[in-house]
Amino acid sequence: MRLRAETRREGVLLLLIVLVLFGFSLVIENYLSARLFNRVSASVAILAILAIGQTLVVLTRNIDLSVGSIVGFTAYFVGQQLSLDNDIHPLVAVLMAVGLGAALGAFNGVLVAFCRVPAIIVTLGTLALFRTILVEYSDAQTILTVNLPQWLIDLPRLNVVSYERLHLRVVVAVMLGVAVLFQLLLRYSSFGRRLYAIGSSPEAARNAGFPTRRLVFTAFVLCGALAGLTGFLFLARFGNITVIAGIGQELKSVAAVVVGGINIFGGSGSVLGAVLGASLIDLLENSLIRSLQISEFLRDALLGMLILAAVAVDSVLMRRRRDR
Amino acid sequence: MKFNKLLTLSAVVAALGAGPAHAEVMAEKGKKANLVLVPKFIGILVFDQAHDGAREAHEELGNPGTLEFIGPTPENSVAGQIEIVTTATTQGQDGVMLSNNSGDQIVPAAKAAREKGLTLVTWDSQIPSAEGEQVFVAQVDFDQTGVVMADMALSILGEEGGDFAILSATPDAANQNSWNAAMQNALQEEKYAGLNLVDIVYGDDQSEKSYNQALALIDKYPNMKLIMAPTTVGIVSASKALQDEDLCDQIKVSGLGLPAEMVSYTLNGCAPEFALWSFVDLGYLTYYVTYLIATGQIEGVEGETFNAGRMGTYTIHKDPTRENGLRVLMGPFSVYNKDNVEADAS
Repeated sequence: MRLRAETRREGVLLLLIVLVLFGFSLVIENYLSARLFNRVSASVAILAILAIGQTLVVLTRNIDLSVGSIVGFTAYFVGQQLSLDNDIHPLVAVLMAVGLGAALGAFNGVLVAFCRVPAIIVTLGTLALFRTILVEYSDAQTILTVNLPQWLIDLPRLNVVSYERLHLRVVVAVMLGVAVLFQLLLRYSSFGRRLYAIGSSPEAARNAGFPTRRLVFTAFVLCGALAGLTGFLFLARFGNITVIAGIGQELKSVAAVVVGGINIFGGSGSVLGAVLGASLIDLLENSLIRSLQISEFLRDALLGMLILAAVAVDSVLMRRRRDR
Repeated sequence: MKFNKLLTLSAVVAALGAGPAHAEVMAEKGKKANLVLVPKFIGILVFDQAHDGAREAHEELGNPGTLEFIGPTPENSVAGQIEIVTTATTQGQDGVMLSNNSGDQIVPAAKAAREKGLTLVTWDSQIPSAEGEQVFVAQVDFDQTGVVMADMALSILGEEGGDFAILSATPDAANQNSWNAAMQNALQEEKYAGLNLVDIVYGDDQSEKSYNQALALIDKYPNMKLIMAPTTVGIVSASKALQDEDLCDQIKVSGLGLPAEMVSYTLNGCAPEFALWSFVDLGYLTYYVTYLIATGQIEGVEGETFNAGRMGTYTIHKDPTRENGLRVLMGPFSVYNKDNVEADAS
């Protein structure tokens, strides 16, 4: 039986997740529990949506380092609007977040696709730019849970289905919906296939007559829109939003994508991979802060090493399969 | 012989000078000094409040120079602060007021500023080694902070006590580290015997990290009854996490917080008691100290007494919480609970 490279990689990731769960269950008491699933799945969902957006951009041989600031900006902006007017319809609030994120993504997209500035430069610039605008805009005020409408405060606790003490929270369901949608889009739509084509060989894609600029632009807009959606979920989950909300999320999303097997040079990878990558990273982080033996200071280093190890193991396994 | 006696006498007077022998210095207004106020980073309410206080003093003293409020962006606090102090030095500013977030990494930049003749006063968070710093304007006595935190823990947990954990800001923040150490010290006392500190974790003053750390603490320590967060960001994040998990009746939150941000959690019982001081006053007092030193009206040495406008008289003392270093102590704490939190929330 021959499996697609992507499927094999996804299998490896799944195996790693099981190994991590097993490993930590040996050192942490009461580790494997419904509670862990409920708490970690909600945390994973936020990172996973961001990673799906990042995937679209990375597939085209680009990168979006500004997503952390987009998350912070939309979380703050939507939080502020909802604080001022508690009667804004939930759907309008979500659309506001997605729209603002898409607009910020479009700004990146114009510079990368039409002005031909390398994505890493553009988004490194907008990472700082969006954050600075937020700092100025916020006037040092914090968004407080007390001013937010009740439905938003209740949202993180809302379950779609529950089985005994196991809950599938709304955030997780939203993430699964987004994942299925984009997996189908990438797999079966001509838009999706063309993103892969651009990443594999930009020149060939151009010669084939694909509107590469427009496609890259669209990828950035979608990535921004998903970062905006993440910003909304971020607001719902954490409630108190300061100007530093979302800092560092850009690197976590890139890490999730890389661990998830999306080729950083474009052209290969899957949405499922990104979701699994996000799950592995977030699970590791959440497990490490629950483990008594590991000091605060070692945790980041350990997380970095585990990510490297995951990637290394994965790439060795992949090569073996290819060499055979 | 007589001359010798005189010398001895003056030496004695000089030695006494460390005490209250210095006359109280009243600030002469209208002198020029260009001053820079540096927060840990921009975009946080308490630092803006300190800026308001400094501005008030700036206008009151009629300083024809400038007062600039320059902070690093949040993701770049440590390196940003070093850069701002260095830039202030090359620009030839007259003084820097720094809420230090860079530990001792700021020392070379601070020393360079001093060599160029700048006045360097820290506020809110000190330079741990005191090198490069003239005076630290302490909001409250840092040992006292430990006692206040221990007292709040005791009043929430009661006589029988229980397990609790500290959720701090960043491991680099000198003030946070001093408070946590002071609290551990205070806990040695007999009356706190029931209080059992199980862990200190760091949420980096980020809502999401603090929230996740609070959840992890709940999972890690099933018997934990209290999270003590000496940071305005950490305390609201921990309260939100407990509220989301419907755990407010089993686990409480306390620490340092802003009444406006805490009011709902205090009223619903998640965070029955917390403390803070006025950051407006802190900015005001810091400005006075810095203005007086930068304009040569005081030297910034031990024993000097000065008048700080509406806040009254202060004296520069040795900082008992550090081996070296001088301190002006502001104080006091305000402790908030459901009876007084609403009044101060607006």
